Amino acid sequence: MATLKEIQMRLKSVTNISKITASMKMIASTKTTRAQRSMNVARVYGKTSSELATQAEVQKAEAANELLITVSSDKGLCGGIHSSLSRQSRKYLAEHPEASLVVLGDKAKVQLQRSYPGNIKCTFSQIGSSIPTFDETCVIASTILNDKDISFDNAKLMYNRFVSAIAFETDAIEFYPISQILEAPNFKAYEYQEDVLENLNEFLFANSMHWALVEGHAAEMAAKRTAMENATKNAGDMISRLTLQYNRGRQAVITNELIDIITGASAL
Amino acid sequence: TRTYASEATGATGGKLVVNFVLPHESVMAKREVNQVDMSAVSGDLGVLADHVPTIEQLKPGVIDFISDSGSQKYFVSGGFAIMNPNSVLNINAVEAFKLEDIDPQAVAANLAESQRLVASAKDEITKEAAVIEVELYETLQSALAAKS
Repeated sequence: MATLKEIQMRLKSVTNISKITASMKMIASTKTTRAQRSMNVARVYGKTSSELATQAEVQKAEAANELLITVSSDKGLCGGIHSSLSRQSRKYLAEHPEASLVVLGDKAKVQLQRSYPGNIKCTFSQIGSSIPTFDETCVIASTILNDKDISFDNAKLMYNRFVSAIAFETDAIEFYPISQILEAPNFKAYEYQEDVLENLNEFLFANSMHWALVEGHAAEMAAKRTAMENATKNAGDMISRLTLQYNRGRQAVITNELIDIITGASAL
Repeated sequence: TRTYASEATGATGGKLVVNFVLPHESVMAKREVNQVDMSAVSGDLGVLADHVPTIEQLKPGVIDFISDSGSQKYFVSGGFAIMNPNSVLNINAVEAFKLEDIDPQAVAANLAESQRLVASAKDEITKEAAVIEVELYETLQSALAAKS
């Protein structure tokens, strides 16, 4: 049975922690609302951009060079966000061991470096502290496209899809480079000038990546809110339990003192 | 049963549907318009319903959306306009603003600044970026002058 002093110290520390998690929950809540608004717009933007590939009915090439981009972030305390991404990425890499891997965010990088270090072509950090802007997306997209070690016929952007405020699901956005779209059955209907194709490729890539980054950020904020809410609730439960224990202990001490006094008095 | 053939207006019924989206704002979603005039790298073009499918890279310039209720002009920084076989025109741009929301004095000041940058640039990349800025502000100035 712990002494009263020990219980008191534990109570104090758990109370402090619950204050911290409560305020983190509040912050994550505000961030989630804002992130969700950006996400709704980014989704429309990304889906509109992918329309060309859908209309042209692009198919994945037979022996396609695959590129997997895992869209994670640097920050923790968000529940299963990063481990879900790592798990799905590892599953994909087990099926496509030759695929190139690009990791956005330190959390997934650490996990994937352990299992598939050879596939990693480049990594990015400083991701996830705020809603991704299109500028940041463009920097990442052009770095990947300009990397001479990376060439692909098919890319999967693995991200966390925002299902609801309490649920997310790891999913992948398909991206076909312009070289593949040119081969698509319905593409011959389109008129275009050759010299815009490279710019189109970069633009479509940045657009899809932007969608993945912004929606991934929204899913992460929502998961952080839920995680902090659970932590605060658990801390609250622990505080009640410890308080009861403390009071029982206090009463036991008082009872013992009373017994001492009474037996002492009756001895006189 | 027999019915009279309806007026042939193309597979889609003669409507031009526009999706005009930016990374941070959906300006138009499934909006029906009559005509869209744009400034592309390959030249200016006007798109009507059932226009032949095309892929156009947009220059900084004005996009004019003409419908029965009038014309709405936006200045875009650049992007792509893709006309699909189902008479849906998708425009992905990076930035777009209504002409009336743009301050001509700010444009003039920024243009002067960019011109100074072109003259004083120390390396190719800075100079290229400044040249692009000058083109942008000059186009913006003439667009603002034309509308008034």
